[in-house]
Amino acid sequence: MWEIMSSRSTDAALLVDDQDTGPQGSVVLEARGAGKRYPGVIALDDVSISMRRGEIHALLGENGAGKSTLIGILSGITEPDSGEIIIDATPIKFSNAAQSQSVGITTIHQEQTLAPDLTVLENIFLGRELRRGSLLGRFLLDERAMRKRVEHLVEEFGLTAEDLRRPAGTLGALKQHAAQILKALAFDARVVILDEPTSGLADHERMSLFENMRRLRDRGVAILWVTHRLDELFGLADVITVLRDGRNVATVDPGTQTPDSLVRLMVGRRRSAVADNSSQARGTRWSGPEEEILRLESVSRAPLVRDVDLVVKRGEILGIAGIAGAGRTELARIILGADRADKGQISVNGKQVRIRNPRDAYNLGIAIVPEERKTQAVLGDFSLAKNISISDLSRVTRAGMIIDRSAERKLANVYVRDLEVKTSGIQQKIRNLSGGNQQKVVIARCLFTRPALMIFDEPTQGIDVAAKNEVYRLIYEFVDAGGGAIVISSELPELLRVSDRIVVMREGRVAGEVAAGPAQSEDERSDRAEVIMALAVRSSS
Amino acid sequence: MSFLPNNATVGQRLRAAVTSPNSGVVSVIVLVCIFATIKSSVFISVNNGFNIASQMVFILLLALGMTIVLISGGIDLSVGSVMGLCAGVVAKLMIDGVPMVIAMLLAVAAGAGLGMVNGLIITKLGLPDFVATLAMFGVARGLLYLWTAGTPFLDYMTDTYFVIGGLRRPLGYLTVPIIVALVATLIVAVTLRFTPFGRHLYGVGSNSHGAMLSGVSVPRVRLLAYVCSGLLAGVAGVLLAGQTTAVAPDLGTGYEVYAIAAAIIGGAALSGGRGRAIGAVIGTLTLAVTANAMNIAGVDPTWQQVVTGLILLLSVVLDRASTLLRSRVVQIPIQPVAATTAATAR
Repeated sequence: MWEIMSSRSTDAALLVDDQDTGPQGSVVLEARGAGKRYPGVIALDDVSISMRRGEIHALLGENGAGKSTLIGILSGITEPDSGEIIIDATPIKFSNAAQSQSVGITTIHQEQTLAPDLTVLENIFLGRELRRGSLLGRFLLDERAMRKRVEHLVEEFGLTAEDLRRPAGTLGALKQHAAQILKALAFDARVVILDEPTSGLADHERMSLFENMRRLRDRGVAILWVTHRLDELFGLADVITVLRDGRNVATVDPGTQTPDSLVRLMVGRRRSAVADNSSQARGTRWSGPEEEILRLESVSRAPLVRDVDLVVKRGEILGIAGIAGAGRTELARIILGADRADKGQISVNGKQVRIRNPRDAYNLGIAIVPEERKTQAVLGDFSLAKNISISDLSRVTRAGMIIDRSAERKLANVYVRDLEVKTSGIQQKIRNLSGGNQQKVVIARCLFTRPALMIFDEPTQGIDVAAKNEVYRLIYEFVDAGGGAIVISSELPELLRVSDRIVVMREGRVAGEVAAGPAQSEDERSDRAEVIMALAVRSSS
Repeated sequence: MSFLPNNATVGQRLRAAVTSPNSGVVSVIVLVCIFATIKSSVFISVNNGFNIASQMVFILLLALGMTIVLISGGIDLSVGSVMGLCAGVVAKLMIDGVPMVIAMLLAVAAGAGLGMVNGLIITKLGLPDFVATLAMFGVARGLLYLWTAGTPFLDYMTDTYFVIGGLRRPLGYLTVPIIVALVATLIVAVTLRFTPFGRHLYGVGSNSHGAMLSGVSVPRVRLLAYVCSGLLAGVAGVLLAGQTTAVAPDLGTGYEVYAIAAAIIGGAALSGGRGRAIGAVIGTLTLAVTANAMNIAGVDPTWQQVVTGLILLLSVVLDRASTLLRSRVVQIPIQPVAATTAATAR
């Protein structure tokens, strides 16, 4: 590894412009018959995929279809049990991430892989620092050469020279993505693997990301792109590979496909009707009194939430739209008591309240399904049962202090069954579940506290189509039983589908409100989407 | 840490200085110095400065190693014991007639070796750093007790060793331990700031998974951090044996606490990813200056420990305050904080 690193650093030429000279369309990377077993699961079974220069290759599949395993194998993190990886017609074996990188594969993982305390420049070169040329200098970093190598790329990908010197942790999601792309480009990346790059980005940010992907493609880079959002694919992907249950079920030309046909490929014959049918699954609506559960009056917290008024009633789903940084999550944190409002009034069930911390919110019957499942919601080492009961242990304790574990199991089982969590048992550790099932457990935890109001922050982020429908069903059931829900989402179709009303936030303020609701025609729906986007991005006029 | 543009105005620079890490600590030192100067005419004198410096060196060497380990996201509780054992190695070998230079090299190697054992236990066996180094803390101390059989090693001092220990000063105030500590600070500073290893330390401490995915060999970086810490403890042990002229079995007891305190006062974070060599100097200086000032002011030694603890607390609080102030000034986009994980889950 040291040899590789130092030999690279000595040639100061821009490797980006210096890529090997295969014609556009020649195969750069190929996996043949890749297989991987874990105890009890065949994660990947005889999968072959080939990537060509200047091609955007989309990889689709439900959670658990084997996408992560395949990415792990290509990026050197997971060692395959069988099959081979071929680069430039030579079979090669990776035993760590550095080896995969040394042949020109860069992976941009879904989880945070930037070191927040290092600057962007430091992050770009982390693990592959350039050193000075002289004998002694080999032990020293060559800051100037590193800066020079990325300087001309910086603005093209939406960063400023100033950003290079900032700690990565202080940048927004889009700029962090750009930093990771630069990390790929600073070296002779021939293959870039993007694992759900658009999750957590608002619509206009996704557009700039797609621009960046096109730029990469024009440079002759092969892109392997994992996404759950079928609408994104068309017009961008050159070829699509669909995995199902660890197998490659199809490699197709997007021109021959529709979102529906792709969904069918992803889920197989098991469920043919999971496509995004608009007015599905909303049962009998709440018919009780239309009481207000939550009322906010000119709630502010500088600088991200300003004079917000809103109302949530029983049996109602209020959607909150807005681009990243519009203050949606920050507003949720105020309602939850995680941050305090500078001014304004909050009333719950008609009574004015002060929510000083999440405990207060919980006592008032407010629960949240947080945005970051991994870091903010799931207790990975806990069993399902413990994850479900943790928010309200009083329901399973005796004499207020001793946890009755059999009661806990019994009660947790009820929720697991009601929510149709797929698991081998409630004693299973939650970290072994798929993302969609983890999300259901998090929702179960909230329901366990018997809340009156639930806040869903990006509830379907990173979960597959079938699981999304399940999450919608759970939201519907909750409000139809008399609860109130706030849904925050960056996916407009989702908001339009799930909400009764949509409040649009921009720069911390409520920019407007749009009626939503089920029975909509396609035209009506796209009209509303346009109105919302206009409110979200433009200044009021 | 701060990221000022090259064309920053004087005002911006001033503000950055006030809000930069460690500024709180520096103000503590300044306050203590002013206070001590008012109370006593002895405080600001070359002689006293020298006293402070010779008190500092051993803690500084350990604090430098501790800073390296803390940056990588670990902690090393064994440095005091390792320093004592290394002092014992030098003394015993010299008593047995081994040439001084060889004895010293072996002692330093022993320190690095013990650090490597720490690192291997942590990286290969996967034990928590706290447990592994706590075990080493006990083992190294116990070995010294067994080896000395409870009575100090004596009669190993040579003329040169008096110079090395700083007891004789052919260069005036600039004693050998002080020179060694200065050189060590410089080397550590350069390593942290300008070498790939230093960069990897910050990367590993800041986001070890991300660093791994970036191609950094995380286990090797962590291992090397403990080797550095052990090596510096070995160097400190060699110097300490020269200054005490006797190696008692409890030599160096409690130094790990000072080292950790100094590193943290100097801005190193227990959560990893942050810390600087100059911070170790500032931290050590803070401890030494206050201890010295209290001595001069005639404060009861038992009270001095209380004060040391309070200073540790104060410095971290001040650092926190300056961070808050900074976030107001720069207006970093507020993101949901992971610290509220448990809370939001409710």
